[in-house]
Amino acid sequence: MNNITDIIIRVFSGAGASSIIFFSTIIFSLPLGLLITFARMSKLKVLSGFAGFLISVLRGTPLMLQLFMWYYGPFYLFRVSLGLNWRLPAIIIGFSINYAAYFAEIFRSGIEGIPVGQYEAASVLGYTNSQTFIKIIFPQMVKRVIPPVTNEIITLIKDTSLAFAITYTEMFTVAKQIAAAKATIIPLLVAGIFYYIFNYIVAFVMGRIEKSFNYYK
Amino acid sequence: MSLFEIKNCKKNFDGVPVIKDISFKVDEGEVVAIIGSSGSGKTTLLRICTFLEYMNDGEMTYLDKKVVISENGKAKYIGQKNLSIDALKKNKELIKIKNYFGLVFQNFNLFPHWTVLKNVINAPISVEKRNKDEVIEKAMMYLKKMGIENKVNSYPCELSGGQQQRVAIARALCMEPKIIYFDEPTSALDPELTREVLKVIKELANEKRTMVIVTHEMSFARDVADRVIFVDNGVIVEEGNAKEVISNPKMERTKKFLQKYEE
Ligand SMILES: Nc1ncnc2c1ncn2[C@@H]1O[C@H](COP(=O)(O)OP(=O)(O)O)[C@@H](O)[C@H]1O
Ligand SMILES: [Mg+2]
Repeated sequence: MNNITDIIIRVFSGAGASSIIFFSTIIFSLPLGLLITFARMSKLKVLSGFAGFLISVLRGTPLMLQLFMWYYGPFYLFRVSLGLNWRLPAIIIGFSINYAAYFAEIFRSGIEGIPVGQYEAASVLGYTNSQTFIKIIFPQMVKRVIPPVTNEIITLIKDTSLAFAITYTEMFTVAKQIAAAKATIIPLLVAGIFYYIFNYIVAFVMGRIEKSFNYYK
Repeated sequence: MSLFEIKNCKKNFDGVPVIKDISFKVDEGEVVAIIGSSGSGKTTLLRICTFLEYMNDGEMTYLDKKVVISENGKAKYIGQKNLSIDALKKNKELIKIKNYFGLVFQNFNLFPHWTVLKNVINAPISVEKRNKDEVIEKAMMYLKKMGIENKVNSYPCELSGGQQQRVAIARALCMEPKIIYFDEPTSALDPELTREVLKVIKELANEKRTMVIVTHEMSFARDVADRVIFVDNGVIVEEGNAKEVISNPKMERTKKFLQKYEE
């Protein structure tokens, strides 16, 4: 019994590291995703083409590989050794940029789904392009993207375990270490339960946010 | 005095001429109805008048402001080098002229995330920087006139089509435009809702508001408009006093068109 409590506490201590990855990724990838959306939707062919290429590479290669690139890249490219302190920044950069690419595509389809009449009504009323975006398009986009963004966020929770690939000690890594040391599967089950609870909370919160937008269709 | 004038307007889409050579004027206090079969270029014409679309050649004047002049067979917009929708959107000079007119769309185009009141007051406050309390007072007055003062806190999705269109008219009115364009304001509505919308437009006509109305409601056009313009295939075929043209058209094409509306 004591043994299990001990396992739970130790696995849970790894959850802090997972949460850091999770929340940092959310905070950085959402605005970054919006910037990539702007680039992707730009009338400048060079910019939109570059953004399109970036998105396809980020979505078309494994996240684990991207994490390796961010972590080991500086050493192999520039022969700079950033040491273990570089591990967390590399993870956050890797996750944020990868998720930004997914969010960018979600935002773009959210914006493109807004009827052209909204822009035209705004134009005739004299709103500038930026006012139109901020006051009329963006708020409607937010409502439209909540369900697909929720899906991505739930995937992100599970993806945080990929950080073990560059031996960053988050929840999954801890669970694996204990499991190996004590020859038991229980730590992994405990970790699974934590991931599930975390997901449940996130799904609940996102559901609430989605509902709060139900005041209009 | 004429508030608006368009001269020798030409517009083509991908080389296909849609408006071939159209000129007309709108005087202060006048109600002009534009009629014509579907595809004849009526919407395109209103979109040109409201800067949603550009013309390829011609001239356009609002009051004493020349907005478009013709230069070497090409339209030249003030404050703008290129002819493109994008350039129109970015043109700061045109934003000032936009407060001369309002446009009521066929499918209302209200902002769904805002209440009725916010739909009506936001542009006067945040675009024209007018005093908030005064704008709200004005908005309430117009909403009342439209018969929807009890819906101010509703969202557009909670209203019938007829109510939404009346909000859209209030939204246009609250900008205090000199001229209001309507593009088939009732063709998305069933007959009963059509009646309530036509009724409020008629009241506006009685107040001598300047309006240009594209419509398929011939009896409405005859009763409400001072002048009617029949457009066919990108040109004006016949124009004149609304009662005379609709009851007694001179041109063969007008007669043929109007026959379709006789019960
Ligand atoms: N953006 C556009 N691109 C290409 N063709 C267009 C566009 N807008 C309108 N047209 C064409 O121009 C013609 C006139 O259309 P429109 O002005 O909508 O007519 P109406 O309002 O009288 O029914 C139609 O043949 C239509 O297909
Ligand atoms: Mg039309």
